[in-house]
Parts: sequence; C-alpha cells; structure tokens
Amino acid sequence: MAEWGSGGGSEGGGMSGIVNVRDLPVGARVVLGSGVEVEIVSNPGDGVWVFGRYLSAANGDPATVGTEEMIFAQDVVEVRG
Amino acid sequence: MPAIRTRGYHSGLVDLTSGLISREIFVNEEIYAQEQERVFARSWLFVGHESQIPNPGDFFSSRMGEESVIMCRDRAGAVHVFLNSCRHRGMKVCRYDDGNAAVFTCPYHGWSYGTDGALVGVPFFREAYRSELDRSKYGLIEVAQLCCYKGMVWATWDAAAPPFLEYLGEFRRFLDLILDGWDGREGQAEVLGGVQKWVIPCNWKFPAENFSGDTYHNISHRSVDLVGAGPSGRSRRDYGELNAARKLHVAIPDRGHQTITYVTPKDHVAQGAYQNSPEVAEYFRECEEQRRKRPGAISRLIGAPGEIFPNVALLPRQPRTLAVWHPVSAHQTEVWRFFFVDRDAPRAVKNFLRDYYIRYSGPAGMTEQDDMENWNYAHAASRGVVARRYPYTYEMGMGHAVENWEWEGYRMPGRVVDLTQAQASEEPMRNLYRRWAEFMDAESWDELMPWRNGAAAEAAKAAE
Repeated sequence: MAEWGSGGGSEGGGMSGIVNVRDLPVGARVVLGSGVEVEIVSNPGDGVWVFGRYLSAANGDPATVGTEEMIFAQDVVEVRG
Repeated sequence: MPAIRTRGYHSGLVDLTSGLISREIFVNEEIYAQEQERVFARSWLFVGHESQIPNPGDFFSSRMGEESVIMCRDRAGAVHVFLNSCRHRGMKVCRYDDGNAAVFTCPYHGWSYGTDGALVGVPFFREAYRSELDRSKYGLIEVAQLCCYKGMVWATWDAAAPPFLEYLGEFRRFLDLILDGWDGREGQAEVLGGVQKWVIPCNWKFPAENFSGDTYHNISHRSVDLVGAGPSGRSRRDYGELNAARKLHVAIPDRGHQTITYVTPKDHVAQGAYQNSPEVAEYFRECEEQRRKRPGAISRLIGAPGEIFPNVALLPRQPRTLAVWHPVSAHQTEVWRFFFVDRDAPRAVKNFLRDYYIRYSGPAGMTEQDDMENWNYAHAASRGVVARRYPYTYEMGMGHAVENWEWEGYRMPGRVVDLTQAQASEEPMRNLYRRWAEFMDAESWDELMPWRNGAAAEAAKAAE
C-alpha cells in the first residue's frame, strides 16, 4: 500500500512534481520538508538517499550547520539550484 | 587415525557396514530441511573469488545453502560476506548479480547499509523513531568466520567451526591445484568470465557424489569421447602423461573431502598438450618447465574431479573449474560453475580455454549434459513410494582402501584406492555419506572434530 499525495511542488521534479534525487548533482542545494536547506555532497544514485551538508540549522540546533548526514528522498521537497 | 563410523544417521539410512544407503536421504523433504541446519549452517561454504571484487565498493551476490549473501569489498579494502536481508523486514538489500555500490539500500522502507555492513540510513530516524533506535544493533548479519585463501572466499555461519585450513585438512593440496599458477606460483588464478548458473531437478547430493570421484560412469560420456571434445580434438582431455601415472581415489575420512588424482613417476617429463594451438601449447610447455624447477611446487600430482564437503566440486585440470551445488529444495539444485585461468596468461590462451571450458562444462557443456541426464532421471525415478523401499548400493571395493599409500617416494594422505588396474571404487562416495551422517547426527562441532581429540590425547600421553 502506498501513501498518496506526499509529493510537494518543486523545481527539478518530474511530471509528478516529486524531486527525483537520482538527478541531483554534487553542489545542488535542496530544501527539506522541515524547511532546512542542504547542499548535496555526494549521490550514490540509488534514488533513495543522498549525502548532504546542512546549510541551515536542523531541528533548531545551530551546531548542525556544516555537518553532513544522509538525506532521505522523501525529505527533499525542493531544488534551489 | 580415528575409528570410522559404519552406521550413522537414523540407523539404516546410511549403513556403511553393508554399503547400503537409503534413497530417503535424497528425496525426503524432512531430511532436506534438517540438512539446512545441520550441514549448511555449520560447514565452510565457498562464496566467491576476490578477483570478482577487486575495487572498494565492488560486490558479488552469492549463496550459502539456501541463503542469499553479499560478498563485498568495503571502502577500506576489507572483504565481507553478509546475509542479503534487511534487518527491518527482511527484504533483499541487493538484487543485482554484481556491481559497485556505496551503500546497499533496501527498496521496501529505505534502510541503508554501508559496504562494511553498518546501518547508516534509517528514514525518519528523528521524526518517527524519535532518534531512539540503536542503529548499531541492526547492521547486516555477517558470517561468523570468513577466510580468503589464495583469492578464494570461504565462509561459515558457525563460530564454533574450526578455521578453514583445519577444516580442509590434508585436502589442501588438491585445492591448490586450481588456485596456484600452472607454473607453480601460489594463488595465480582468476575467475574467467562470468559465473554460469542454472537449475536442475535433482537433490544436491547427486552431483556432489558424482564429483566425489565417480569413475564408474564414464560410459555416459562415450559420445563425447567419440566426438573428441578435448583441446586437441581427441577424447575429452589431453592426458597423455596419465598413461605413466598411478590413478587413485583419495578420501580424507575425518573431513569428508575426496577426489580422483594421478601421481606421475618421479622423473616423468610432461608430454605435449593443446597441439591444435601452437601458442597455447607453448604456454603450457613453458609453465610445466617452470613448475618442475620451482621449489615446493606440486609437480607430481595431476588434479581430477573431487569434492570439498559438502557442496563444492573441483576439477583442477582440463577444464579448470569449480562448481557449487546450492540446495533449493529436496528436488532442486541450483548449479553455479566458476571457470579459472592463470591471471597472467596471454589473451589468446584465455580465449582458447574459455571455448574449451564451456564446450566441456556448464549447462551447454557436452559432458555436463550427460551428467545432468543421469542425476535428473535417477532422482525422479527414486521418489515413488515403491522406489524408496530399495536402497542404493555402495559396496564396490569395500575394505580395499589403504592408508600410508606411497609410490616412488610420494606419500599420499588419507584412505587410498589404486584405480590403475581396478578402474573404479566407491570409497569416495562412502566417505561423503559417512561425513554427511556425522553432520546430521552431531549436536555440535565438538563431535565433528575427532582429530582434535586425537591431538589432545597424544599431548596428554606425551605429558605423562
């Protein structure tokens, strides 16, 4: 069973408007569902995960800025270029 | 040498006093299910070869018994073997035969694992799990022991199993015949091309028994001999030097490994082979010359079909190949055949050998097709309620194996039957099923290592 309507409108999405993380190049800047901005640092191309560096604070914690973490595809809602 | 068990698993099913073995061990589904726990979850099993994963991130999907496993090289270059099953809901995390990956991501819920097996990605870890999941507890399941031996990768799920080389025992010299270079240098083999995989409708023990050293079935391959599928267009193989050699069955009783082998005379000079291809003939002539000069190289043994317990068959020479009999059910086996070649051999030699190998072995190989016909029909004809009442006979040559066999200064380990005149014996098959019965009976590895008891007893005696 799949959850419907979870995709957000975004640039860089396909026909569905969902961001295809497989297409994200290193250096791309994306926005997560929480509003946090992330820069892509590597992309294994599996369509499920990318590696990103926080450009703004995650969970309101300033210490997270500049740290790297695996970002789940469903968290990525917008590509800013 | 420890006493040999003659009556084993479920008294009457394997009876080596009479040489009778029940058909039930081949066709009974309950026995098959027990085998998965007693044999395959405890034995050392062949997984693959390092030449298949030369670079960090390289992986090869393999099998251990019924289990799917991933053989991979992590970012630091270490080789691992993992159960190919997500810790969350069990989905395969790798569905490709081979490739290169930074992570293995489960397509079901997205859990992701590094090539070192660590769980590195859990979707909604902060939100849904509230950061409470201990990710360090849920890495991929790794084998209990792994051994890289001359490029081969072997593994076992049982931490109590002896180290691989101890498991192999005196049989090591026969495995070396595949892995060492033709010129005698250690560990020069690489896998040639891909792995041939196919399913056959018979129990895995039919091919395991056949490759243990069945020389009695050569009539099955008469048509191949007549066609002349060998590398020089005569018979099946170029084996001229065998006319001067002693042909043997060698069985290592406390390990369950066995083989056919040939021992050449002390000062024998190799005869030419591959005469239809001058470049190939010259390559092997040069290699033979180098091997005989190299100190410590095995120069008097010629390899032939053999079996490493439970399910790995080797054929060190012509063709140089190894097969794994993966159990699928009591009535099905998935065969994986690997072909080997010296990694430094010229391209023309590799191409020539590839053509010969697949002409001989594999699903389209002329000789393997003959074998499959036998195994598949024998299995089908043994499943009926009436057929099951009548055991197979393994009485050939009972009581005629010798220990401490020696010829012109070459001493052979294990129990040996000289086939030079006898042509055939069933000593290797009895050895296979003796070990199989021991595994099915034993509650732990402590019962499966009589050689350690012997060593302990000898040490105690010496201490007195």
